[in-house]
Amino acid sequence: MKFLTVRNLKKVFHKGSESQTNALDGIDLEINKEEFIVISGPSGSGKTTLLNIIGGLDSPSEGGVDLEGTLITELSENDLALFRRKNIGFVFQAYNLIPVLTAKENISYVMRLLGCPKSVYDARTLEVARELDIDRYLDKFPDHLSGGQQQRIAVARAVASKPKLILADEPTANLDSKNAEKLMELMRRLNEEEKVTIIFSSHDPLVIKQARRSIVLRDGKIIEDVVCP
Amino acid sequence: MILLKMAFRELLIHKKRSVITVLLCAFSTALFIFVNALNDGSHKQLIRSSAETYPGYMQLTGRAFEDNPNYDNLIFDTPRIQNILKDQKWISAFSARFESYALYATDEQSIGGMFTAIEPESEAEVSRLKRSLVSGEYLSSKDTNALYLGVEFAKRLKVKVGDALSFISTGADYSFAADHLIVKGLFKTKLYEFDNSAAFVNKSYFDEVMHSTDSATHIIITPAEISQIDAVTQRLQKVVGGEIEVKNYKMILEDLVLAMKVDQIFSYITLAIFFVVIFFVVAIFAFLSVYARIRQIGVLRAIGTTPGQVMQLLLLEALILGIIGVGIGGAASAHATHYYEEHPISFGFWGDVEIEEYYKQYNMVAEVTIPTQYNPPKIAVEMLIMLMLNLASVLYPMIILRRFTPIEAMRHV
Repeated sequence: MKFLTVRNLKKVFHKGSESQTNALDGIDLEINKEEFIVISGPSGSGKTTLLNIIGGLDSPSEGGVDLEGTLITELSENDLALFRRKNIGFVFQAYNLIPVLTAKENISYVMRLLGCPKSVYDARTLEVARELDIDRYLDKFPDHLSGGQQQRIAVARAVASKPKLILADEPTANLDSKNAEKLMELMRRLNEEEKVTIIFSSHDPLVIKQARRSIVLRDGKIIEDVVCP
Repeated sequence: MILLKMAFRELLIHKKRSVITVLLCAFSTALFIFVNALNDGSHKQLIRSSAETYPGYMQLTGRAFEDNPNYDNLIFDTPRIQNILKDQKWISAFSARFESYALYATDEQSIGGMFTAIEPESEAEVSRLKRSLVSGEYLSSKDTNALYLGVEFAKRLKVKVGDALSFISTGADYSFAADHLIVKGLFKTKLYEFDNSAAFVNKSYFDEVMHSTDSATHIIITPAEISQIDAVTQRLQKVVGGEIEVKNYKMILEDLVLAMKVDQIFSYITLAIFFVVIFFVVAIFAFLSVYARIRQIGVLRAIGTTPGQVMQLLLLEALILGIIGVGIGGAASAHATHYYEEHPISFGFWGDVEIEEYYKQYNMVAEVTIPTQYNPPKIAVEMLIMLMLNLASVLYPMIILRRFTPIEAMRHV
């Protein structure tokens, strides 16, 4: 059984109106464990919508997403939240850290929701922070950190609870090339060392070339799906 | 724990909004508690004034006396009843009266009025007659031919303390009764009609003149606990037997009690309007607070916070603000109600005379001061109600939030 299966996924926005848009138009996709995949394509091709539906943040108009035997498109809001908490880590383009929590609390947030003991989440937070070279910012609040630092904390938050899947929507979009390169290197390392399946979207060629599998979307359809050498 | 920490920090970040909400909550709690305490205090005072001025909290009469208040329906074995009453621990005082009417005559004129016998010492414990003395002296149990007269009645009779007058009346055996009296004292209860027609003599003298030994029209009783009056009435009825009727102030002052019930209903309506206004004001603040961070709540849900936990977070914020606001408001109003219970609020600035004139119209005792009623258990319940109201105010924002999927919330601007 595949780790992640996407079947005939369709998403229509503003259905029935003049501005009706077929964001996803029958996507079929199978993903194995520990893959490192980039989804690329021009703006409006459906990259973000696909990631959102795979992550259970949005619901499809048609079709389904199966993650290790769980049809996540059928789950209730509450079950989806629990499912995301346990299985999926998110890295957003706009970092989306919780402003009232320190970097340390942001990183450990999901682990705390999962009920991990303090000693466990403290140790894991420190471990991940050291790995990402952000351990000296742990007591700072997000608004006292640079964009690059915030994004690394967002990555730390996504990986700290050891999810099965990390979804990153244009994680380098707000970073300069140096920080973008560092982040990709970091994600690749996490994929290799922590054995986490990572799917990210991007339209930056420098970022895309680091992936081991590249999926290209256009007008809501997959027009290319290749394994990189 | 993390949700509690987030709730605290959210409130600290938005200090201005939090302070306004706390002040609003404190003010509404204080107002709610104080208005209720003033309402209860004024009702309690009205009952006390009305009952203690003359009618008493409880009355015993002959069974048929109310329908036919004549000498055939008296309490004929007063000493036996008084002996029974002496043994009841839920009664703090009692006193017998014999109410009759007489024609009073001075050199100048004759006027009809009440001619009532009281037991001076025990009467002082069941009514304010003794305390209402304004000139001369109150009656004593050794008095003969001494009259204790209402000031307005004295004005009509044109007599003062020390003046002589005579009376003529019908004795308890329907014989003719007449004698001379000396005005010993004048009283003013502020109950105009009463002061204008009432006159009292010592009961032992009255019994002799009116041939009413061992008889009484009423025995007035003060229960040990006014709040237990219904239970005392029931118990007493069993003890004194079916020939005697037991009534409490709710029956004696039926119109007053009904008027207070109506007043209470209007108070509840006013409070309901007050609740609705407070609820919406607090709800608007809660809504603004939630609306300003729909995006943040979207992120929380995206990374695994359940809708229930989001609700917990909002409720915690409302609870923190509510506890502080209700705490401040409750403490302030508790202090104020306690203070004004001992130092009643004076409405004398409107002028004593005007107030007395106003009350005269309704034949009620004029009170220039109104106390609050300090009742800690009731204050605690009212604080709890305000806290619940505060918590309920986040329900609408919660309903709004439920309409958003995490991704819609994250895109919200």
